[in-house]
Amino acid sequence: MLSLLCLMLFVPRVFSSSTLAGIFPQDPALRMGSSLTATCTVSPERGLHANTMYWTMNGKRLPSSTYDLLSPNCLSVTLHHLNGSQQQSGDNLVCHSGDGHVLAGSCLYVGMPPEKPVNLTCWSRNTKDLSCKWTPGGRGETFIKTKYTLKYKLRWYGRERECEDYSTGQRYTCYIPRDLALFTPYEIWVEASNQLGTATSDVITLDILDVVTTDPPDNVHVSRVGELEDQLTVHWGSPPALKDFLFQAKYQIRYRLEDSTEWKVVDDVGNQTSCRLAGLRAGTVYFVQVRCNPVGIYGSRKAGIWSDWSHPSAASTPHSERLQSGSCEPKPGEQNSTLRRELKQFFGWVRKHAYGCSGMSIKLYDQWRVWLQKSHKTRNQVDSIRR
Amino acid sequence: MSGHVKNMCPQLTISQAARTLLSLLLVAAIDSVSAGVVCRKQPCGSSLQRSLKLTKLIHKESVDLLKTYKLSQGDMSELFCQMSINNVPDPNISGLDPSERMLSIYSHCKAFLPHLKRVTEQQTDLQPPSSSLLSKLSTAHNRTNGLANQINCIYQTLFPNLPIPPEPVDGPTSVPPSQNVFQQKVYGCVVLKRFKEFLSRVTRELRTLKSQVCTRRTPFADTNALF
Repeated sequence: MLSLLCLMLFVPRVFSSSTLAGIFPQDPALRMGSSLTATCTVSPERGLHANTMYWTMNGKRLPSSTYDLLSPNCLSVTLHHLNGSQQQSGDNLVCHSGDGHVLAGSCLYVGMPPEKPVNLTCWSRNTKDLSCKWTPGGRGETFIKTKYTLKYKLRWYGRERECEDYSTGQRYTCYIPRDLALFTPYEIWVEASNQLGTATSDVITLDILDVVTTDPPDNVHVSRVGELEDQLTVHWGSPPALKDFLFQAKYQIRYRLEDSTEWKVVDDVGNQTSCRLAGLRAGTVYFVQVRCNPVGIYGSRKAGIWSDWSHPSAASTPHSERLQSGSCEPKPGEQNSTLRRELKQFFGWVRKHAYGCSGMSIKLYDQWRVWLQKSHKTRNQVDSIRR
Repeated sequence: MSGHVKNMCPQLTISQAARTLLSLLLVAAIDSVSAGVVCRKQPCGSSLQRSLKLTKLIHKESVDLLKTYKLSQGDMSELFCQMSINNVPDPNISGLDPSERMLSIYSHCKAFLPHLKRVTEQQTDLQPPSSSLLSKLSTAHNRTNGLANQINCIYQTLFPNLPIPPEPVDGPTSVPPSQNVFQQKVYGCVVLKRFKEFLSRVTRELRTLKSQVCTRRTPFADTNALF
């Protein structure tokens, strides 16, 4: 059978003037775990005998025990239990002459038919658009090029439409920028296809207004509460979109010590745009973030989706004077107590005697210190938070 | 500029001075246009210097482009790049005098463009959409087109009495017919390898040309410039 195949391939039209050899099959798509027998046939004009030829797969020479000399011009190789392709452009199965020259090649696409995509979720930013993400149903489909198409339609009427923008930077996401109806459920699903098969996800049904998120609050500002050592107050601005499309925002705050990775969350902030944090440690820098949830959009009773956290803001609680006077040795990481006392006295004198320096205070010094720490130390922390 | 003026305000009276200015501008535009390329007259040295910098940039990027390309095709790609394929431009610059060599640079740039475009099309099917290879190929194409235009302008400035470089004809023989995937991988590697070598030669050539044709004692450009 294979000899016949070699003879069938040995026709002038198979060989171009530049390559007088050919591999069969060309660019096949195969399931993982399957077997393949490929043949390399050279034109007699090349003067090569097939028993001098050899095969490589992705640069690795295949053992001669897998070869079969079908004719003086035709050498086959049999591969069992194929693994998923090493790259999406295909595995390179190459036939060489004895001196290493490339005679011909064929690219193998080894993977699996797609399974139905899962975890399809969507969200809308301020009711204006819709973003959706999903997860491939199986691993095997990731070895070969698998196309995912997000489709949607209004539940009771309307034609099926396809999402077009898959270039949001994240895989398995799609973005619909405009022309979305409100107060009407959509049906949304994902179709996956590759050379080995197709699959369709379950259909999800949603109203845009049920999956709304918004921008994080801006102008988050953290400051001391007078000289209270264990408290900080947080103020922020409501998202601009709140005015545009009528919702009540509820907020959540989280904060942590400068040197800690554990966040404490304050849940019961309600729709206020300020909050006082209590029970804090004296003389300590805290990082604070706020996020927003649009509740009751256009009269809906449902909560929306929490926004991203705001950029971290930082402030320090006042240092405890009582602790300073009682301690014999300064603790590592704390301010020099003598320095702070002198600074306070100095700032008090400056406010009295220097024109235009009424804003001078130890608080300003602390803010400067926070800023200094932020600029030197917090860049990586912010990046890790964002991730 | 194409020499064609649209009258957006038919009721507006154009003053005599404005008409004269417009006529002068039209003459300048028509005189310097070649196949849609408008050349601003620049001193010889700075034009060639700019082109040299652009060439160095494209060359530097072509090294990374070839590397990225090979990584995207899987192992054994080095051998692919050494195979011979018809119709892919060779990297050598031909000609005896500066005008011929400059013309050779121009025509080679133009000749590489359809091949870069073909490689981009092929790799779009083979690579995941997020692959950086695709954007690098697109950048190489755009920059090479820009370089060709610059060389064209410099050529016209330096050699105004010589025929304007003809646009190469994009015929069916300029890029190979449809190929199987393996052939596409080989073709792309050969194109990019030769492209990289060509740019290296252009860099050397432009340095030489600059010293030959843009000297202080013989302001070649000044004597030949229209303005």
